[in-house]
Amino acid sequence: MAEIRKRYDALVIGGGIAGMQAALDLGEQGYEVLLVEKDPSIGGIMVGLNKVFPTLDCSSCICTPRMAEAAHHPKIQLQTYTEVKRVERRGAGFEIRLLKKPRYINEDGCVGCGDCERACPVDVPHEFDFGLGARRAIYIPHANAIPQKAVLDLDNCIFCGKCDAECPPKCLNFLQEPEEVTTEVGAVIVATGLRLVPMGTKSEYGGGRFPNVMSPLAMERVQSGNGPFGRVLRPSDGKIPRDVAYVQCAGSRDRSIGIPYCSRVCCMYALKQALLLRHYIHGISVTLYYMDIRAFGKGYEQFYRRAVGEGVRVVKGKVAKITQVENQDLLLRVEPLDGEGRVEERRHDLVVLSQGLLPAWHPKGILDAEEAEDGFFLTPEATIRPSVTTSRGVFVAGVAAGPKDIPDAIVEAGDAAMAAAAYLEWTRRRAGSATTAWEGVESEVVT
Amino acid sequence: MTATERPEARPKEKRPWLILRDRHGGMSAQLKEYFKEQQRIRKLMKEALKGEPRTIPQLATACKLDSSVVVWHVMAMRRYGLISEGAEQNGYLLYALKEAPKEPS
Repeated sequence: MAEIRKRYDALVIGGGIAGMQAALDLGEQGYEVLLVEKDPSIGGIMVGLNKVFPTLDCSSCICTPRMAEAAHHPKIQLQTYTEVKRVERRGAGFEIRLLKKPRYINEDGCVGCGDCERACPVDVPHEFDFGLGARRAIYIPHANAIPQKAVLDLDNCIFCGKCDAECPPKCLNFLQEPEEVTTEVGAVIVATGLRLVPMGTKSEYGGGRFPNVMSPLAMERVQSGNGPFGRVLRPSDGKIPRDVAYVQCAGSRDRSIGIPYCSRVCCMYALKQALLLRHYIHGISVTLYYMDIRAFGKGYEQFYRRAVGEGVRVVKGKVAKITQVENQDLLLRVEPLDGEGRVEERRHDLVVLSQGLLPAWHPKGILDAEEAEDGFFLTPEATIRPSVTTSRGVFVAGVAAGPKDIPDAIVEAGDAAMAAAAYLEWTRRRAGSATTAWEGVESEVVT
Repeated sequence: MTATERPEARPKEKRPWLILRDRHGGMSAQLKEYFKEQQRIRKLMKEALKGEPRTIPQLATACKLDSSVVVWHVMAMRRYGLISEGAEQNGYLLYALKEAPKEPS
């Protein structure tokens, strides 16, 4: 892997779809970009999804070429398994402090053969599969990971040395240490993505307590061909589910848990998963309990009608409580909003909570851009300049700015790249003969 | 040096993963317990699967383990080629031990 240089035009924080797109859009304009990702692979959430709505195209088939393009672009330097510790203003640019975490392998030598992983005797829950599947203490992050390099999880290593014995190019390096690196950039794009509202937030739904109450991202992995089970099964006992429920707004539009906003994607991902379950398991019953169906994007209303047409049941009603009954089935207490005012109990063998979205990263103490009340980045001119933050030269893309779907995240990444390019050109003009975009420009001249 | 003189025995070089272990403060007690339990469960499951393929509830009963624990171990063993998936039986899949691959001659 190339050494981190002293200067880049731009830093992109986050190697998900929005970060990759922003980096590519800057790179294509000739700017030197440092793309930093905290995980061992780029790809973010999207590379773990099964299909995308409303087209039902394979998600990784769309994401993986983007990953390869970003990784091999001559103007983009990819730095995985690295955290941004501090972004400090220096004139019109920034000084960046990074922490490179050790993989305990020589990346130039590792060919991603996986022999070390097969030799390792310790199985641990795999984060990529939301704990439903296993990985080893040394592992290749996933089948589509870029870079395809092993990483040793020190906290689960029993120090047996079997990985070293089996590694054909002998590239294990147990003596690596975390390394702090400093660089300078002219502009910053934050594309740090999302996390889901924690499973136990709505405790009345039993998330985190009942094994058959699942998160939607775990269901994405279960539905994926390279998922933890290889097919759709219940996590509690491996049963092929026959009757699945989706509970909408399970962590969004709910002031009682401090998340009043709509997460914008839950209706569509639930409909997509529900329809795919109908395709994957013959005769399965899938019911979606909802407050409103928000199918606002291009082709989304048609997709909703298709899902209903293909047998997904939609029930307008609020789920009050979920209890676990015999055989680890689940009993839902539902009030259908059909004007009759009755409460029903309906039994299902698997429930997916359509959890809302939260920002995955907070800038406090690292970066001087402000957060809005909801915890996402504050974009004061969201209507006309959606990627501009409260910090000059810092731009935001994707879900870091607020919940959105993949097409919107990609569009916003393009906007962030253009705004960053405009900022770099503006500083270059001000700097006159300076050799880099921001060199020689003091922050006070930037208005 | 004459033929009868022997060079001083070189101190044995410490294996690099053991240097890392020392730097890391050794293996945690929690990990030791976790690994021991993993080995115990795998042994039970392999024994239970020796005779015939079983579903996860059947394996859970045979091994006296919670079925969700068995699911996780079956899927881990499946991923690393120790178990294969078979036909469906009453809404569950059958799992069988794979034969150990023969060494190439």
